[in-house]
Amino acid sequence: MLKLFEHNTLSVDDISEESTAIDVRNLNLWFGNKHVLNDISMRIPRNKITALIGQSGCGKSTLISSFNRLNDLYDGCKYNGEIIIDGRDINSRKVNVSRLRAKVGMVFQRPNPFPMSIYENVCYGLKLQGVKVRRHLDDAVESALKKAALWKEVKDRLFESAQVLSGGQQQRLVIARALALKPDILLLDEPTSALDPLTTLFIEELMDELKKQCTIIIVTHNMQQAARVSDYTAFFHQGRLIEYADSDTLFTMPEKKQTEDYITGRYG
Amino acid sequence: MRQVALNTHISGTFNIELENLRNSVLTMGGEVEQQLVDTLKAIKHNHAGLAEKVVLNDLKINSMEMQIDEECLRIIAKRHPTASDLRLIMTISKAITDVERMGDEIERIAKLVTRNKLPTSDTIKSSMLLIGERVAAMMRGTFDAFARQDEAAALEVYDQDNRIDSEYKRLLSYTTSEMQKSTDDMQDWLDVLWALRSLERIGDRCKNVCEYVVYLTRGTDVRHTPLENMAQKLEDLT
Repeated sequence: MLKLFEHNTLSVDDISEESTAIDVRNLNLWFGNKHVLNDISMRIPRNKITALIGQSGCGKSTLISSFNRLNDLYDGCKYNGEIIIDGRDINSRKVNVSRLRAKVGMVFQRPNPFPMSIYENVCYGLKLQGVKVRRHLDDAVESALKKAALWKEVKDRLFESAQVLSGGQQQRLVIARALALKPDILLLDEPTSALDPLTTLFIEELMDELKKQCTIIIVTHNMQQAARVSDYTAFFHQGRLIEYADSDTLFTMPEKKQTEDYITGRYG
Repeated sequence: MRQVALNTHISGTFNIELENLRNSVLTMGGEVEQQLVDTLKAIKHNHAGLAEKVVLNDLKINSMEMQIDEECLRIIAKRHPTASDLRLIMTISKAITDVERMGDEIERIAKLVTRNKLPTSDTIKSSMLLIGERVAAMMRGTFDAFARQDEAAALEVYDQDNRIDSEYKRLLSYTTSEMQKSTDDMQDWLDVLWALRSLERIGDRCKNVCEYVVYLTRGTDVRHTPLENMAQKLEDLT
């Protein structure tokens, strides 16, 4: 048959163990007495963009923070269940958390460049890892800034303060900082909610390019963004995973009424 | 099967926009239905005046199609609808093209009446009126199924097209044999053929709208699926 449109026909059922970047198994998480994540199980595929959507407080940001053990920083955080990355449960005591955070990079809602030069911002993590050779640092900075589509704009002012960059440039700088560590997984927590629509499109375009090199998980309140950029989408409600499907299906024919109500803006 | 609830969005304005959109399609459908009824009446009583009114009224239907299309476009641009809302708008946008074409077919028949082109022979007239009544019933059923988002009703209406098709084939062979008897009335019989063909096409258009109703409620594209396979296809999805 003549095929007019080439769309990947994706299905969560087809995410094999080999193609899984993060395998979440029966994850429960509490902050004090509050049960924030309730028995979450899902396979997040490698080299794809997975969007997590849901109302504020549904647990999506907590879930991605679990992927690089950021929740450990909060007192009273308890969890059980497994999060398997590269065949190992990252919740295990044996895991080197610093190394984990280098492999699982994170970018937040508001760009948070350090009060130092553009160059220093990008190579900060590498220096912490003990890289000292200037040539290696130079190469890593150039490569990361190129991947983050910022190189052309800043190559002549690498040693100027990062604070002078615009919001969109700062966000790409922060992405470059994460990329310098060559992460396998990039967690984006509402990365464009503080940016204008055009800059948002640049970041989305960048995500599409970056997924060739790493797995991207994005938390977003912007449903159109989730529909535009993601391969898979998971809908959360009150700490539970309600529906997880390829984005084409979830945004055209969701299976669960709760999902339908949320994405179409109906009363829950 | 899931019906699209139009009035449960958090945005009251969006509720109103969808409700108005749906109602405008039903109004358009009602107009086309009335056009067919009037045309059949004009055939029955050789009423050229009534047929002229039908021809003029078609302009109103054309304008309705354009307005509804524009409203669909506006809602898509402004609201970025998803899931059932998106299906509803796509369904409407496609259905009104078929409804407008039904109007065109009716106009074509009405024009023949205005020019006294349809034969006065009782046999062919009563047959044409019979098929016309069936098409009118099918049209009513189609708009009802759309209004109620009733997949079962849509499939029932869909099935009625078979009877219209076989009646059309029967009349086609009758007309052809009449044409062979004498070449004097050839042009008149050709006009009869055109009119019959138009009625049969309206049935096909109704079928299309019924398919969109299934898409609306199921999210499944059942176009080009033979009826005997359709029940199975829908069962597989359940």
